[in-house]
Amino acid sequence: MKHNPNMPSPPPRDWTVLTMMLLLAVLVVASFASLPLKWRDFFTMEAVNGTVELLQGFAPPDLSSGFVTKTAWATVETMAMSALGTLLAVVAGLAFSLPASGRFGGVARGAMRSMLNVLRSIPELVWASILLIAAGLGPFGGTLALAAHTAGVLGRLFADSLENAAPLPEQSLRANGASATSAFLYATLPQTLPQMLSYTLYRWENNIRAAAILGVVGAGGLGQMLKYHLSLFQMQQAATVIIAMLLLVALVDAISFAMRRALTR
Amino acid sequence: MLELRNLSKSYAGGRPVLDRLSWRFKAGEFVAIMGDSGVGKSTLLNLIAGLDTPDVVPGESPIVIDGIPMSGLDDDAATRLRRARMGFIFQAFHVLPHLTLLQNVALPLLLNGLPTARAAEMLDAVGLGGRGHDFPHQLSGGEMQRVAIARALVHRPALVLADEPTGNLDPDTAHSILTLLRREIKATGACAIMVTHSQSSAEMTDKILQLSKTGLQETTIVNPFAQ
Repeated sequence: MKHNPNMPSPPPRDWTVLTMMLLLAVLVVASFASLPLKWRDFFTMEAVNGTVELLQGFAPPDLSSGFVTKTAWATVETMAMSALGTLLAVVAGLAFSLPASGRFGGVARGAMRSMLNVLRSIPELVWASILLIAAGLGPFGGTLALAAHTAGVLGRLFADSLENAAPLPEQSLRANGASATSAFLYATLPQTLPQMLSYTLYRWENNIRAAAILGVVGAGGLGQMLKYHLSLFQMQQAATVIIAMLLLVALVDAISFAMRRALTR
Repeated sequence: MLELRNLSKSYAGGRPVLDRLSWRFKAGEFVAIMGDSGVGKSTLLNLIAGLDTPDVVPGESPIVIDGIPMSGLDDDAATRLRRARMGFIFQAFHVLPHLTLLQNVALPLLLNGLPTARAAEMLDAVGLGGRGHDFPHQLSGGEMQRVAIARALVHRPALVLADEPTGNLDPDTAHSILTLLRREIKATGACAIMVTHSQSSAEMTDKILQLSKTGLQETTIVNPFAQ
């Protein structure tokens, strides 16, 4: 199309974006081509019948009082693991976020951010595998695994919140004679607290799900029960555990949503 | 009350901002400092408050407050001196948004370990009596500056530093704020130094000092408030 000289020139075409899009498309096609995905086998009558048979095995869930009580205790254990893991992570994350936000100089900031990167780059399952060797089987190792990974995530998020907080209220308190600690506690921390609480609740939601999975590697709670009953093909008991997981996640999601809404009001 | 003796300040690269500045400020006087942008007015206030450090001249104390040389103080001691003897007022108010007006005004009393009853009296004095439980977002700019003034004066500081306190306010509100500031300063006997670009604001003080590259010079003013 001919350019109208009375109008401003069109922006220059950005070939970098086009190249990136093209490379991404090639990557997606190559991924499908390189993996042995047997889509045809997945939709055979034999596979469909097998799936239906497996799903039928889950019904009805085992609702005997003994098993429901056992599942309820495992639910409490999973809940406790996630809550305690998150609490430990909040304490550690807050402590780590101070140097990571540059409050003790550039060197401490860089070193702490690198450490936080390491903590959060290792997934909870890997942390659990490592810590189960040190702490033994059971919920203690799982709790520590959740705390280690979440401390890395929250430390980074808290540090970013502190860095992004308006600096002038703290400076004004310093000018009026507040010590560095008082100025931080009165001016900067209250600014960032709602955001920090919101991050904490969100991570607690994630940790509930993660705690359920961690049981699979022996860290206790619902995950451990699920692995046990699935490995013995006790599908009705496994169904009860899965329902408990769904209810727990839904409950925590609802609580977290309500609390975050209250905080932003 | 406050004495500047050959006060100099240079920034990185050796660019001098203040060059051998000397002046003696008396207790109970309200002084305006005027001057072109970039001449060093805010730097001067920050140096007096101990928020910035002057160029070191061996054997000299360029800032002396109530006989105490600022240069001899470490960060903690400078903080304690500011807390007990100074009040700072800013152009952008810097009232803490998560605290009520009463809590904002009470803050210097809490930091000094003093009883907080005077906070309500100060709010009353600045015309915000009965609004102690309101939050800053419920206030206008002028009302917020009233809170900032109450906060700066509540612990009866000997020295009040104000950096463009009416810069964000319309002329009528600015006039009423400065009338209030003047009344409170005279009531507490504090020395107040106000940096301003506004001639009409400066004319409400006792004395106008012009800051330039050659130093501080007093300019004659005739105003109904000058004593």
